[in-house]
Amino acid sequence: MDGLIAQIFTTAFLATFIRSVVPLLLTALGGLFSERSGVVNIALEGLIIFGALAAAVSTHLLTPSLGTAAPWVGWLAGMLVGGLIAWIHALLSIKYRADQVISGTAINLLATGVPAVVLTALYGVSNESPKVEYALPLWGAGELRFSPPVFFAFLAVAVTWYVMYRTPYGLRLRATGEQPGAAASMGVNVRRMRYSAVILSGVLAGTAGAFLSIGNLDSYVRNISAGAGFIALAALIFGQWKPLGVLGATLLFGLLQALSIALGGQNLLPSTLVQALPYLITILALIFTGRSRAPKALGRPYDG
Amino acid sequence: MTHDSPPRPSGDAARIALIACAVAALGMLLFPLATLGRGFSADAVLLHVTGSVMNLTSNQQAPLPPTGTVLALAWATLGTLIVTLLGAWQRQRWYWMTGLLTFGLATAAVVVLGGALDDQSQRVLADTTLRPGAKRQLGNFYASGGMNLGLFLPALAGLIAAGAGLTARDWWWQTFNRMRSLLVPVAAIGLAILVGAVVVLIVQPSINQSATPLGLWGTWLAKSDLVYFVYSTLFAPVTALNPLLDSLKIATPLIFTGLSVAFAFRTGLFNIGAPGQLTMGAIAAMLVGVYGPPSLGYGLLALSVLAAGAGGALWGAIPGLLKARFGSSEVINTIMLNYIASSVLVFLIGSDSFPFLGREYNQPLKAEGSNPQSELLQNEAQLRPLLEVLNVGQNGQVALSVGLLVALAAFVIVRLLVRKNRTLIALVAAAVLGAATWRIGIPVSVTGSQLNGAFLIALLCAAGFGMLMWRTAAGYALRAVGLSPKAAEYGGISVAKNTILAMTIAGMFAGLAGTHYVNGGALDEYRLKQNMPVNVGFDGIAVALMGQSTPAGVVASSVLFGTIDTGAVSVTTKLAKVNSDIVTVLKALIVLFIAAGGFLSRRVTSPPPPALAAAADRHATPAAVEVNRPLTPQPNVAQASEDITREGNK
Repeated sequence: MDGLIAQIFTTAFLATFIRSVVPLLLTALGGLFSERSGVVNIALEGLIIFGALAAAVSTHLLTPSLGTAAPWVGWLAGMLVGGLIAWIHALLSIKYRADQVISGTAINLLATGVPAVVLTALYGVSNESPKVEYALPLWGAGELRFSPPVFFAFLAVAVTWYVMYRTPYGLRLRATGEQPGAAASMGVNVRRMRYSAVILSGVLAGTAGAFLSIGNLDSYVRNISAGAGFIALAALIFGQWKPLGVLGATLLFGLLQALSIALGGQNLLPSTLVQALPYLITILALIFTGRSRAPKALGRPYDG
Repeated sequence: MTHDSPPRPSGDAARIALIACAVAALGMLLFPLATLGRGFSADAVLLHVTGSVMNLTSNQQAPLPPTGTVLALAWATLGTLIVTLLGAWQRQRWYWMTGLLTFGLATAAVVVLGGALDDQSQRVLADTTLRPGAKRQLGNFYASGGMNLGLFLPALAGLIAAGAGLTARDWWWQTFNRMRSLLVPVAAIGLAILVGAVVVLIVQPSINQSATPLGLWGTWLAKSDLVYFVYSTLFAPVTALNPLLDSLKIATPLIFTGLSVAFAFRTGLFNIGAPGQLTMGAIAAMLVGVYGPPSLGYGLLALSVLAAGAGGALWGAIPGLLKARFGSSEVINTIMLNYIASSVLVFLIGSDSFPFLGREYNQPLKAEGSNPQSELLQNEAQLRPLLEVLNVGQNGQVALSVGLLVALAAFVIVRLLVRKNRTLIALVAAAVLGAATWRIGIPVSVTGSQLNGAFLIALLCAAGFGMLMWRTAAGYALRAVGLSPKAAEYGGISVAKNTILAMTIAGMFAGLAGTHYVNGGALDEYRLKQNMPVNVGFDGIAVALMGQSTPAGVVASSVLFGTIDTGAVSVTTKLAKVNSDIVTVLKALIVLFIAAGGFLSRRVTSPPPPALAAAADRHATPAAVEVNRPLTPQPNVAQASEDITREGNK
């Protein structure tokens, strides 16, 4: 057994672990903003896909003119498109008072069709984009070399914590999610707070997508997110809608994912069942957290 | 306003008619009127209202039918459209007549055009000097012609204007009012089609097989023709029997998953877990169908179908239980269970062996060979194609039995006529008459279709959904929980129990979809395969939303989706840059727009009651009270979950 543990817990494993955490962490932080403002964001999965697609395609298209700067612009494009799609979700759930879960599901459905249409129109194939010449650069040493969004993600935890608990914006945001009526009577523009939070969640999920397509791989492929958005949502609930809780929860889920990848290579358990493990653990984790400490106004359209 | 003045259409109706007519009049000028012929790769001969003919086909020498009458009728249509427009502007009471006239003229133009094209086809057919191949090609060339946007829009606008005009009459107004719940889905479909059209315009380059270059105007006409071509191809399957049967085949699993999602909606739950429940149902159906005792005869089929329902029910009960007991959101749990189910499926039939604690074990459920699939189902567990079951023709001739239709008609009529025990008596009458007329058949020409018995099971499920939901006490409790969990709780209805029950039944519906794929052989063979399209589970959400969570609505929208899915196949083969994925986008957009209430103002979708409006009218003040009464209970997932959490923690 010792040999097995030594086989699994290597530096390469640590690298895999960190790479599995990053998309979950970025997306969950995005979800944190959205849900703390009172808007359920089931659309995170779709936002990741849109971000990944936009990053890969724009990097590929811009490489001839921008060279090595292209992936940076690609990252920006991923954020932008993520924010734009999130804006649609915000518009539907805030202005048109749509059911937020259905609106989010619609965006996820859109994310299963739009990439194929875009890729067919641009490249004539529906499953993947062509490989980009320059992906985001890798920083670090040895096997622990990561693309910039990795560092951005961990920085984002600190920033999110600071913004959420130490700035007027954070205070207003939390108030909006708990008691929008009370917040409004104190002069907070509830709608604007919610719009900004949902768009911010799109920007962060778009970054997660950009990390997947041009930070981790060098092209967009179908199913690139593999449910990361939903797991991030579960991590958000497990982390009790708090930045540090979210960090802890995503570290746990990331560890499980990395373990399932590492165990898949061993002859220990059927690899397909091991792949299902993170989802099973998510269900178990949800049992122990429930919805008890959710923002009180979560999922309710605001009148007024 | 006094009651003596002549009746007028409502302001909203007049505005809708105004917009429709304006769009149609503009459309007649901007889009081609008709297609005089169409080649294989969607290249076309276009006729514009100015009389100019653009031949973009490779078939440059093909003689074209005369267009004089069509053009004259088109100009007349444009004239009546403008008159209707003025009528709508002035809110005159008679513009339903001009609307009908517009519709009539446009239809006449289409009929004249169709006749001219038919004449050409006949001429080609009679031409003995042509090679058979060329004959077929030319025949298809004329047969694929027909009206284009320029004639379609005025016909549609004429109908809308006529409808709007009729709202001035009390009876019509009330009839239209009853159909108001259709407004949001129809508006959503319209908007989705509009957005899809823009996508096609951007994505698909214009098709020009002629040697002459296109100008800016020509490119526009060619592109707008492609938009019409895409949609007419998508909706084409309803026009012929074979593709219609294919559409019904594709619609079958959608009915199941749509019912599943709709059932959950009605009880305030959101079931995204239909893909997983379907997978589990299919696995269970396979286990019984392959390994069940063959001595049961056709009981094995019944057992297999029951197993499919039970498998799905079990998989649906888990999130229901978790929600009732621990208050964890069924949305996340069902999604996670989807992933787990797909892993289980791949595990069971994906590979020949699996490792366990360092040793390799054989995977007994997977069939021999390289394909990821299970063993073949036993003969007794297979649902036969409907064509085979209904066929009463002899000596290889296909004649469909009328027994089923007669039975259905008898059931409805007898049920309406009889007062006591009417369902029972109607069932008996249906069975007797159906059996008596079974041997009578209508000869049809079809080439065979995989539409199977699962379609009938789906229809039975839809009927069962309606009966359970609106005719039983359990259904009342389920609906009460869906409308207001708190009120239901105070009324003595257990929210927790009904949550579990609702998810179980929803899961059962989705699981039964497995019978279509496994027992029905919809994957070309009577076995469980890894390429089972579990995504129909997500399409179920769109179907349920569009069907307003009613059984009849679910069936209707499933058939619509089945139709466009079938049509998408021919779009994919004919156009280079637009493929079947556009249908996925359309469905997603429909969900998006329904979520937004079709962007219709609440005044249109749920106006204040007539009495209130009349009172407000009399006092010449705007209605002070805004009544927002939702038409169907849309799920309020978060709220419901909170209430149930409270209950669960008690």
